[in-house]
Amino acid sequence: MKRLDLGAIRLAICLGPGGVGKTTISAALALGAAVSGRSVDVMTVDPAPRLLDALGLNARVSEPHDVDLRGVRAAARDGDEPDGGKTSARGRLRAMRLEPRETFDAIVRRHAPSPAAAEAIIAGRIYRSLAGAFAGVADYMAMEKLLELTAEPATEFIVLDTPPASEAIDFLDAPRRLLALLDSRAVSLLAPRPGRFSGGVVDMAARAVLAAFDRVTGLKLLGDVQAFVKNFEGMYEGFAERARRAAAMLRAESTAAIVVTTAETGRIAQAGDFIAALGRADLRVHSVIVNRTMRELPDGLEIERAKMPAALKRKLRQNLTDYAALKTREAISFDALRAAMPSGATLLLAPELDHEPRTLSDLAQIGAQIHRA
Amino acid sequence: MALARLLFVTGKGGTGKSTVAAAVAHALSLERPTLLADLDPRLSAAAMLLGAPLSGAAPVRVAANLEVIALNARAELEAFMRRIVPVAAISRRMLKSRTFGYVTAALPGLEAFLMLERLRIMAGDAALEDRRVVVDGPASGTALELLSVARGVKGIAPAGALNRIAHSVESFLRDPERFGVILTVTPEELAIREALELAAALREHLGIATVAAVMNRVPTPLFSRAELDALKPLPAHRHLAERREHTRAAARRARRVFSHAGIRMLDLAMLYRPTMSRAEVEELGVTLAAEMPTL
Repeated sequence: MKRLDLGAIRLAICLGPGGVGKTTISAALALGAAVSGRSVDVMTVDPAPRLLDALGLNARVSEPHDVDLRGVRAAARDGDEPDGGKTSARGRLRAMRLEPRETFDAIVRRHAPSPAAAEAIIAGRIYRSLAGAFAGVADYMAMEKLLELTAEPATEFIVLDTPPASEAIDFLDAPRRLLALLDSRAVSLLAPRPGRFSGGVVDMAARAVLAAFDRVTGLKLLGDVQAFVKNFEGMYEGFAERARRAAAMLRAESTAAIVVTTAETGRIAQAGDFIAALGRADLRVHSVIVNRTMRELPDGLEIERAKMPAALKRKLRQNLTDYAALKTREAISFDALRAAMPSGATLLLAPELDHEPRTLSDLAQIGAQIHRA
Repeated sequence: MALARLLFVTGKGGTGKSTVAAAVAHALSLERPTLLADLDPRLSAAAMLLGAPLSGAAPVRVAANLEVIALNARAELEAFMRRIVPVAAISRRMLKSRTFGYVTAALPGLEAFLMLERLRIMAGDAALEDRRVVVDGPASGTALELLSVARGVKGIAPAGALNRIAHSVESFLRDPERFGVILTVTPEELAIREALELAAALREHLGIATVAAVMNRVPTPLFSRAELDALKPLPAHRHLAERREHTRAAARRARRVFSHAGIRMLDLAMLYRPTMSRAEVEELGVTLAAEMPTL
């Protein structure tokens, strides 16, 4: 049973469709690395309440939190872990939740020329809607937080659980898209620039279009956009620099993109889309993890050898046939996934537990059982 | 009370929304013409299940009584502009303007909002022709955001066309004859909890009715308690047998929990088949059709 080796990796990004257990896998990978002695940060997005509990986080606090590893370490020492089960007391695990809105506010405060300018932006209507609902913002903020975490030299391994984006590229492309919006010539032409003649054909056309839109829709976009762009002036360079660093970090040798999926037919198709999108974005897929795979089925011969009523044996055979059909369905999915695997990437399986993961030891168990397909 | 004209299918990721949406559409199509609308044109999983890979915006007929359509946010924006700006040249110019593109992209929820307006129109058209509409919606969290968007639009547009549309969208969503939600669940604690929370949020914050919860992948029973006990000499087989019966029991318990919350639960049996394709979806649809009239 060959394990997943992330020893040379500093940053692991878990990507995948919604509902496949990205957060669980992220936490399991982080926990495994911490128990083996590395200094680990795991950043989760929108975790299930139980995972929050397991990681010692609560619904309101987004501050990094040290996870108590004593119980998991003791269990790992006692257990029989022939390969890769080494433990070390040196490691630590910090868990944190991503709060897009708070992070965005913090960035604006950092880049804004003055506290007053920062507050003007934060109170603006466009910004309020952007920070609250524009899908790209959560993605962008995850990237921002990553830059902060990677800046700490003591941290040896960082695991990032990504927002449930419908497409991997939404997440990876977030810095560029936000910049494109801020930088768009058309938008910046709308901003009133004191001391400069800002007429011109493009400007007038854009204004006319927005004014017409406002008239029919009842919005006040023209004014809002003008205020937004004006407030952001002077902050653009700060954002651009961060975006360039984020892009470089994502493509570093020590960064691993890990696609997480389950074996359901629909999810496999989505995972294939993710893999293709990562390729187009020039990102290496380190591995693909299929979560919640079925365990080995029991031996049918046992039924025949057992001393049992014939009716019960028939039912056991039926049960085995039923689950074998599901196992075949799963194998068909694995084949489809193998066909979509990029060169150099590893296909791994994370077998299902008997119950939904709810404790640190559940996460440790999941992490320990991830193996090559 | 009559079943809602438009049924919006949502649930936790991984509970089989697209399968259930396709099965519900098949079930309804056994009685009258039905349209299955996919809100995610890139994936159109429900359409694929019915063997109809969608390519364009036009509906595809997959059976005598069943059509599938993919809804596209950009197309909705264009249709909206054509509607509110009567002069074609002007609406074209607005759509072509880069500024307008940036601003509408940054204006959260506008596209989602127009998608809801489209659903309202589809439900109205369907009522005239006595058809039904089934929507393969997004996962619970996104669905709640989507269905809440009209309120946000009223906030940013206190008057004008958008405000008027927001009002009509809200009354559409609150009208149980026109709009109803079908929740998908599997016999797992998290999925059940998420469905109950979503139903409560829809009812309390938006006045939206949940028509039913569809419990997907319910194992067919096989072993009695005494039989499970008799399996002690074969622990691995016993484990597999218990798993089946435990999952079955979890589904039964959920029925009580949902009924407590005033929600009917319909079972969809786990199909022990190596493939999940159109034949299986139609089989699920037939079992659902038997329970539909009771809704």
